[in-house]
Amino acid sequence: MFELFTNMVKEEWRIHSTMFGSLSFALFPVMIFGIAFMGSFLVPLMRTTIPAGNLTLIIHATYLMLGIMVGGFGLLGNEVMNRRFGQASLLAYSARSLPLSEKFIFSNFVIKDTVYYFFLWVLPFGLGYILASPFTGVPLANAMLLLLTLTLSFLFGLCGVFFLSAIYARSRLALLLILLAIGIGLAGLAVITGMNPVLFFPPLLLYSAFTWVNFLVSCAVLALLFGVAIVLFNPESVGSEKTYRDSFAPLLQRFSFLPNPPFTAKDTLDLYRSGSLVGQTIFSFLLPLAVIWFFLSLLGPFFPPHGLLFLIAITTGVIASTMYTWVTMFDTFGPYACLPVAVSTLITSKLTTFAVLQAIPAVFIAAVAIFSGEAAYLIPAVVLGISVSFYAVGVMAWLCGLSPNVLVYDVKVLFVYLILIGIVLTIFTAAAFANPYYAFFAVILALPTWLLVRMAKIRWDAVDPEGF
Amino acid sequence: MTVVLEAKNLTKQYGDVTAVDNVSLAVEKGALFGLLGPNGSGKTTMIKMLTGQTRPTSGSATVLGIDVISDPVGIRGQVGIIPEQETPPSFLTAMEYLEFVAAVRKIPEIDTKADWWFDFLDFADKKNVLCKDLSRGTRQKLMFTQAFIHEPELALIDEPLINFDPIMQDLVKDFLAGYARKGKTIFISTHILEVAEEICSGFAILHKGTLLHTGPVAELTARDEHLPTFFLSLVRKDRHV
Repeated sequence: MFELFTNMVKEEWRIHSTMFGSLSFALFPVMIFGIAFMGSFLVPLMRTTIPAGNLTLIIHATYLMLGIMVGGFGLLGNEVMNRRFGQASLLAYSARSLPLSEKFIFSNFVIKDTVYYFFLWVLPFGLGYILASPFTGVPLANAMLLLLTLTLSFLFGLCGVFFLSAIYARSRLALLLILLAIGIGLAGLAVITGMNPVLFFPPLLLYSAFTWVNFLVSCAVLALLFGVAIVLFNPESVGSEKTYRDSFAPLLQRFSFLPNPPFTAKDTLDLYRSGSLVGQTIFSFLLPLAVIWFFLSLLGPFFPPHGLLFLIAITTGVIASTMYTWVTMFDTFGPYACLPVAVSTLITSKLTTFAVLQAIPAVFIAAVAIFSGEAAYLIPAVVLGISVSFYAVGVMAWLCGLSPNVLVYDVKVLFVYLILIGIVLTIFTAAAFANPYYAFFAVILALPTWLLVRMAKIRWDAVDPEGF
Repeated sequence: MTVVLEAKNLTKQYGDVTAVDNVSLAVEKGALFGLLGPNGSGKTTMIKMLTGQTRPTSGSATVLGIDVISDPVGIRGQVGIIPEQETPPSFLTAMEYLEFVAAVRKIPEIDTKADWWFDFLDFADKKNVLCKDLSRGTRQKLMFTQAFIHEPELALIDEPLINFDPIMQDLVKDFLAGYARKGKTIFISTHILEVAEEICSGFAILHKGTLLHTGPVAELTARDEHLPTFFLSLVRKDRHV
């Protein structure tokens, strides 16, 4: 058991370090540590406007969301193992020639991924906060407890979505029933206690009052969710052949007005037939945003009027930009290498598919505006969210080309991404907070977006298209 | 005769490793040319450079008169390519993949052409199966089809017979020989020497990225020498050097 796991960890390290150098990969958690360390010095300042409890809420929500976004292992099943690196991910395959079950190999893969995310994101952030605690007046014990509860928060997101996505892969009706039961349960809890059910989130309860019983119950729930998800995991049966009637030709006609119709038709079939269109929308988009909305709603009183709507719109924009990773995860450049296709053509086609998918965040932001009674600001909120999404994807395409899932772990890439996105988010959040109609100014992001996409095409056409 | 493929001092380095070292060769129109070499000799890198999939570190090459460095996409538009490892996209069916190829290459009447190939390579029953569910052999049939469906003047094939059963190997060998007889050019890389001797008109031997020999197969036949024996003696001698 342990040998396969350790070798998978080694393989992951070597793949990343081969792609952009050991140092660039090794510095990634150092950067997260640095951000947390320096960010900790802002805590005393932020406490003057937002109570400490609410700050804790935001951090836990962020980690829960991170867990939710990476936890959809059950969605693609075996495919998830070869998607990330294409043919470079060899161990998961070579292990199949050994007397090991698919379930066992998959379990190792999921645990390896969890451990990797923990060391890349969760631990460095917690350590940054812990080491800054003597300077910020936060008690050390408090900082250490935060590391523990953030870890749990991340794991709740990851295991919860792993569980739900495994159910989804088996029965969509069962998922619907479970989500309905959870919704009714949370509503019941709110009615009975008169409190926001978010406050009963186990890691938050533990952070406010640590007890060993609560801690052990949390661990047991996590183990149960993970265990059930693994049991439910359904390895693809070897030899089964899925057949479909020809849908490509009709789609080609339907998309004939777009720049690269064959590619958009192919991407659409990829998304639909892999189950990703619905699955990713639920698990990588709607669920994390619903969680964020739920948590941020508690901070309403600390924002200017209508501030929450625009904060949700901007957050939706950033998360919607990750839809670019949905359309780039299905293939490397390899399958196109035998065709008269340049990398820039493929970037254009992926961005076209991305643009089609932007209907989803637009509808989501509109729904938030309507349900929160702020329909008057629906249009500026949608404009802000979608403009941010296109700008963020422009940055992503320029920095990562067709490999955003992989290159995000290059510290140089992440640094530039955070700077370029951070500046824009700060400016437009402040503008929308000052006056909701200033959100319309976000359309000027079209210019840098156009420039970034242009630069992306020139940059990635000049690089050997082979590899990941 | 017209030269359709010409490499001059072609070199490819990956970091400290020189995969192809200063290789020059020329292939004439209508030839069935075999690039031979043991595993790791640089055959695949050579094909990748000639089809614009990877840029040469130094040297130059033209394929059908198109420069591989300045117009790699132009070359891929003119030739047919079967890469060694790449498989068709997972979530398209075999037929849909051919429709995709036709749309990208702007090939008319794809249905009729595809049906001919499905029948010829005997995989019509897999027409509507997802590519990810196809066996290796059937995927190779599909890749073979996409390389020839636009009837290119030149086809570059990395290991053409790999994954095929003996019956299919025979069919494909006949097809390749017939295609060359029609005045089109085939450039294959292989380490199956018997196949090269059987169907190729010209050959080149690569070893550790270096060109050891290039010439017509007829030259060996005239000396009553067999290609496998010639290849082995040359490579073994080079190993000792």
